[in-house]
Formats: sequence, C-alpha cells, structure tokens
Amino acid sequence: MLIAKLRFAGRRLLLAAPTLLVIVVLNFGLLQLAPGDAADVLAGEAGAATPEYMVQLRQKFGLDRPVYVQLAKYVGNIATFDLGYSFRHGQPVAQLILARLGPTLLLMVTVLLLAVGMGVLMGALAARHLNRWQDSMISLFAVLTYATPVFWAGLMLIVLFSVKLGWFPTSGMEAVAEFHTGWARIADIAHHLVLPAVTLTLFYLALYTRLMRASMIEQSTMDYVTTARAKGLNERQVLLRHLLRNACLPVLTMAGVQAGALLGGAVVVETVFAWPGLGLLAYDSLFSRDLNLLLGIFFVSACLVVVVNLAVDMLYALFDPRIELR
Amino acid sequence: MKIARRTALGMLGALPLLCAPPAPLFAQGTPQTGGTLVMVVQPEPPTLASYQSTSGPIGQVATKVYEGLLEYDFELKPRPGLAKSWTVSADGKTITFLLQEGVKFHDGKPFTSEDVRFTVLDVLKKAHPRGLNTFRALETIETPNPLTAVFKLSEPAPYMLMALSGYESPMLPKHIFGTGDIVKHPNADRPVGTGPFRFVEWQKGQFMRFDKNPDYWKKGRPYLDRVVARFIADGSTRAAALETQEAHIAGFSAVLPVDVRRLEKMPHVAVTTRGYEMQSPIVELDFNTKSKPFDDARVRQAVAYAIDRKFVIDNVWFGFGRPATGPINSNFKATGIYTNDVRNYNVPNGVDMANKILDDAGYARGAGGVRFEIVHDVTPYGEEWRRFGEYVQQQLAKLGIKATLRYEDVPTWLRRVYTNYDYQLTNNWIQTLADPVIGVHRLYHSKLIRAGTVFVNGTRWSSPETDSLMDRASVETDPKKRAALYHEFQKRVVQETPIVFVHELDFVTVYNKRLQGFLVSPLGIYANFDQAWLQK
Repeated sequence: MLIAKLRFAGRRLLLAAPTLLVIVVLNFGLLQLAPGDAADVLAGEAGAATPEYMVQLRQKFGLDRPVYVQLAKYVGNIATFDLGYSFRHGQPVAQLILARLGPTLLLMVTVLLLAVGMGVLMGALAARHLNRWQDSMISLFAVLTYATPVFWAGLMLIVLFSVKLGWFPTSGMEAVAEFHTGWARIADIAHHLVLPAVTLTLFYLALYTRLMRASMIEQSTMDYVTTARAKGLNERQVLLRHLLRNACLPVLTMAGVQAGALLGGAVVVETVFAWPGLGLLAYDSLFSRDLNLLLGIFFVSACLVVVVNLAVDMLYALFDPRIELR
Repeated sequence: MKIARRTALGMLGALPLLCAPPAPLFAQGTPQTGGTLVMVVQPEPPTLASYQSTSGPIGQVATKVYEGLLEYDFELKPRPGLAKSWTVSADGKTITFLLQEGVKFHDGKPFTSEDVRFTVLDVLKKAHPRGLNTFRALETIETPNPLTAVFKLSEPAPYMLMALSGYESPMLPKHIFGTGDIVKHPNADRPVGTGPFRFVEWQKGQFMRFDKNPDYWKKGRPYLDRVVARFIADGSTRAAALETQEAHIAGFSAVLPVDVRRLEKMPHVAVTTRGYEMQSPIVELDFNTKSKPFDDARVRQAVAYAIDRKFVIDNVWFGFGRPATGPINSNFKATGIYTNDVRNYNVPNGVDMANKILDDAGYARGAGGVRFEIVHDVTPYGEEWRRFGEYVQQQLAKLGIKATLRYEDVPTWLRRVYTNYDYQLTNNWIQTLADPVIGVHRLYHSKLIRAGTVFVNGTRWSSPETDSLMDRASVETDPKKRAALYHEFQKRVVQETPIVFVHELDFVTVYNKRLQGFLVSPLGIYANFDQAWLQK
C-alpha cells in the first residue's frame, strides 16, 4: 500500500518536470515583453547615472547578450536547480526566496487551516439549519466578508485593534525595539500574526462556507444518506460518519487550488501589514525588472503548487477509500 | 592668492568637541543615553552598497555605518568629518586633507589615508553612479603619511568638495573591499565602516538593525543604543506605526501628505521640511524639444505661463513646496549661485498671456477650439503625479491644446523618456543635489544627450552658450565669478524653457517629539545620527 503510494507520488513528480519547463520558458518569454530593464530601474532609483555606468550595469547583468542566449543559460541553470543571482539585491535568488518562504508558509498554513476549518464548520452548521435564522446569519456574514476589499478590511482592523485599542501591533513580524528570543519571540510572532491572518481568513472563509453548505445540501439528498437513516443511525451519526466526509471533497479540491494562489496572492495583506512574504517580493521584483528573482519565485511557486496538488490527491484517498491512486 | 578653505582649525585644536559640530537645530535639554530608535524607510533598499548606488533609501541606512570626509552646515559650507581640515592650493588643483586621529573601522583596524585613496580612486571613481562625474578631474591621491591624503586634479573642481558626505562618498575599509570583485562584494550587505552604529542584521522585507559602536571616535557618542530601520510598504500603515509610536521617524515623505496633515495635529508628533537642502528636488514639466509642437520655444513658453504654481502646491502637494523660478533651486541662495532675476512665467494672467503667444505664433484654433492634440505622460512615482497631470490637462485645454494622459510603470516610462524619446510632454522631478555640476548640468549639457541613460538631458535641448557657461563654471574657483556664470545660465535656460519649472518640492519628515538632535545638517536623515537621542 505504502509502496503504491510512493510510486504514485514519484510518477506524478516526474510528469511535472515538463510542465515546469514550459512554465519557465513561457514566463521568460512573457517577461521579455515588458519594456525597460533592470539597469533603467537601478539607475532611475539612483537619480543620476553616467552613460558609462549604464553600459557597465548592462554588461554586468548580461543584458547586452541576445535573448535566446539568456534563455538557454537560464534554463540550463534551472535544470541544475541554480536559480541564479539577483543583481538588484546582490544575493543568490535561492537565498532570497528561502528567507521569505518561512513567513509565507506560516501565514498561508495558518490561513488555510483557519479558513477551511471554520468554513467547513460554518457551512455544515448552515446546511443543518437550512433556511432558518442560523443559515441566514452565516450566509450574510459570508457575503459581507467576501465583498469587503482585503486592503480595506486590513486597514480597518489596524485602526480598531492597533490604533484605538492598542491590542495588536500595526505591522511587521516581530517587535524590533525589543528583539525577543526563545519562547518570547514565538509568542511575539504569533501576536503579530493575528491581524494579517484574520484579514485573509475572513476573505477565504466565505468561499469555503458557501461551498461546504452547497455540498452538504447536495449530499443530503443522496441514497446513501437514506440508507444510513434506514439502518437506524441517528442524525448525528449520519452527519459525522457519512455526510461530512463526502461533502468535504469539493472543499479540499478548492483548498488545493487556492494554496497556490495564496503563495503569491497575499500581496495586499503583505503590503498592508508589512508581512515579509513572497507575494510582496514578487511584486517588487516585477516593478524593478529583477527577472532572475521573479522567474525564481514563479518557479518555486509552480513547484509548490505541484506538491500541494499531489498532497490533496493523496488526501482524497484518505477521505474516500474508493478513490484509487494510480 | 591662496584660497584657504581651511576651517577654524586652530580653534578646533584648542576646543576639540565643543564647537566642532554645528548645534542641533531643535535640541532641547541635555541628551539622554540609551533607547532604540525605530525609523521607517520607504521603500526597502535593494542593497547596502552605498558606494555603488545613490538610491535614496540606501542612503538613509548606510550613512549610520559609513562616514564621509566632510559634513556640511545649513549654509551648504563644508565642515570637518573624517577629515579634520583641508586646504585647497592657489590653482585649485591640489586639495590636502588631514584626517582625524584615532578613527577605527568596526573591525578594529585603523582608518588611514590609504583607505581614502582606495575608496575614491578604486571604488567611487569606477563604480559609483555619480562618482564617475564628481571625480572626473581627479588624477591621483598621494598619501605621504597615514593621516594625510592629497588629491591631485587635472583642473580645478570646486564642486568636488560638496560631494564628500557619508551619503555621497562613503569611506570604505581597503582591507575588506580591496579584495574581490567590488560590484559583487560579499560585504555589500554587511557593511563595515567608521560610523556611530555597527551593522548587525538585515531581515529582508522586515528590518535592519544597527547597534551602538562603543569605540566610536567621537567620545561619548552616539547616545542611542540601537537604530532599527523598518520597511512598511503601505502608506496608511506607515502613518499608523507613527501614530501608535511603534516608529519614531519617517523621512522623504514616507508618510503621505494627506496623513501628514492628520498626524501633525497629534501631541506626540512633529513635522519638518528641513534636512533636504542637499537634495533640492524640483517638480517639472519636460518637453521633447526635438518634435512638434514643443520644438517651438514659443509653445513651450505658452505652457510655462499656463501653470499656476501656487494652485499646484496647495492642491496637489498639500502646501509642501515653493514656486520654482529656474533650473537651480533657491536652496543655493546662501552660496550666491541662485538668482530669480529671470523671465517670470508665474503671473496672474498666465492663461491669457499663453493664448496671446500661441495666437501670435500662428497656431490657429481648429474645430472645437483645438489648436493641436498631444499625449501627456505622467511620471509613475505616486498618486500626486496623476493629479498634477490632470491639472495640466485642464490648463492646456484652456490654451486649445487637447492632452491625453498616459500612465505607465517605472521601467516603461524611463525607457520612453530617456531611451526612445517617444514622448511629447511629461511631468518629472529632478534632484538638483549639492552642486549644479553634480545635479543640474546633466539636464542641459549637449554632452549628456545620451540615449539609454536616465535622468540626463531627455529634452535634448542645448545651446553652445549654455554649454560654455556650464563648462566654465565647473572649473571656476572664484565664488563670485562662478555665481555670475550661473546667473547668466539660469536666464538663458528659463528664456528658452526646455523645462517648465513648477515648484521646489519639500520632502517631509514626520517624527516623534521624544526624538531629539537628529536634524543637525542639510543631510537630514542622511546624517549619521551620532547626536540623536530619545527622551525617556
């Protein structure tokens, strides 16, 4: 059984390689279309530069070589897992991404767990009390949070909880005046995590709640539910042992798809709360035409999406043993 | 005649630290030691290599670690820094610096004239974006002893003494940066300098930490235990961090003007526009003078008349600015270089004047009262530029010029204006910096019409007369004669107006009133904060 699972995982990862190659080449090509280059931006930021300096920069970045040479070199490097060097940051791309991966995963995993967990709970609750006040309240809440722009929600939480009440810090990942260590640091980071995680959760929560509610309603009309009731199970047992497991599958699929979006898509929350995530890094590197870094982030995101989807597929089998991994 | 730029050295010798630094502008009471200063820096700097990038945010942090040979007072006169005195020879071609004694780098090695020679000749003159220009006349540096550095120039370069601050020309340790490739040096982001604070760590996307240098060469300084720079990408959050006192200072208009007006009413917050006198940004409208219709000086003059400077300052920039008169910022008044005796376009009946000029020049109004249509590019550095663009669009409509706005991102806009010259009219802002040779010449000299180089002569306007005035002013060592050359230069440029000079932009620093002694020179936040302290 375990061997079969491992073989399945291995084959899937192998199949992902050509996909990743296509992604790399496509991204590279698309980014070439953007006018202006990293030398323009660097010199622009400097506010002044001599012509000799610009030539120096372009040579250093390899921008003076033909595009196909740059592409070939890049793909060659990627094949050996060398993500290249960011001249703008003066650091290897891998190092830059790695530094941001921790905070990104922390935020992403927290938000996913909260959003999926609470979404399943609230969706199930709403379906149980279909068309009663509980259902209306939950639906109203879901629509409200979904319709609120993320940046606005974030700013309002800052105004309320940081500026007015003083319960949470406005931004950042840890207190920079104190520099806590050990457990105090972990508590401090958790303290800083609350507002950004809540902001993002509010947004995703609505989606999972609605999805779970619809899925529950659909599943509750199935024959197996009738059978379960007929064999004498009470409503609680029907819900926990049969309905919930089946109704969760679409939610799981959605979570898998969104995990990828969350990686780079938290730009707004990262901006508002100064959370040091990958999204903001990608955003900055686009506007500074730091192509090596941007391509590196795309590559890592693509890899993560492959891995997350694989994990979701394997979770399916756990929830529904009828699904075979092949 | 010997031009002695020597400072009051004798006096300094007798009273070492009593009168050496200029008195802090807003100092109150005796400095208290200790505390962590949290500054908001926007945006996050790409690197800490201030010796090869003059990008603003780099200067705000790197200057706490690296120092320069000179500092400056509010009259833009040089003051001792790592050099305790300097002498310029009669022909202006030899400058001798005597260095401070007992200065050590953060790794304990002494700072010597050899470090000066290495930094200026091997690093700044080769890899610094402005250094190539600043030190172009510098041929060699002699080091007769460890505390004397003699700069030998091919021609006089009076502007060079304005470019030796810790921001513009940071002094590096040769024993560290002398080995390896300077453009990719492993110590680029782990700076080792002589400054009051030592670099500790940089968590990208979050903060940089600098701790007090206990062996700093100025005894008893710095007062602060630590300086932390934080990076917050969102403007409203930056304001909130100052409001909740999580941060103490944010400069270079990191707090948006609209928030400044709200924060300045709070009891713990203060606001200043001083400390940018060596940046001197000017808000402009740049014409493409090589294509229709702005190849005609009369059309350019008409546009210059149509802009109500005060309206723009008050309504777009929330009052932070003063009307500009020409290519040189009025901050240079103290040096005598600045003049407002030029053609004045900022007149009450500007729109009528403009229409008359266009009528006289034969640009008749066609269908719908339109003389011609143009595209007006908007520089992508923030919302206010778009509003400014909308204002210009309205004003031009009154002249019968139908303008369409175009808004692009930074690299695209730079490429359009400075490489492809594919524009007609763009708004823009230019820092005129510490001396016209460094900040102003690049915009007007024919030699600096160089496609692919940003923030140089993108209007492609030049004239043999103004070229010659600039060339002569670069080597003129007599301040009076130099000022006269620049007065003539300003007159000619404003008359031809390849650029509409709109206003002198004020950067804003928002800070917590507990913070004292940070504003000690025109370098403002680019100073090293050795005198800054926090009230308990």
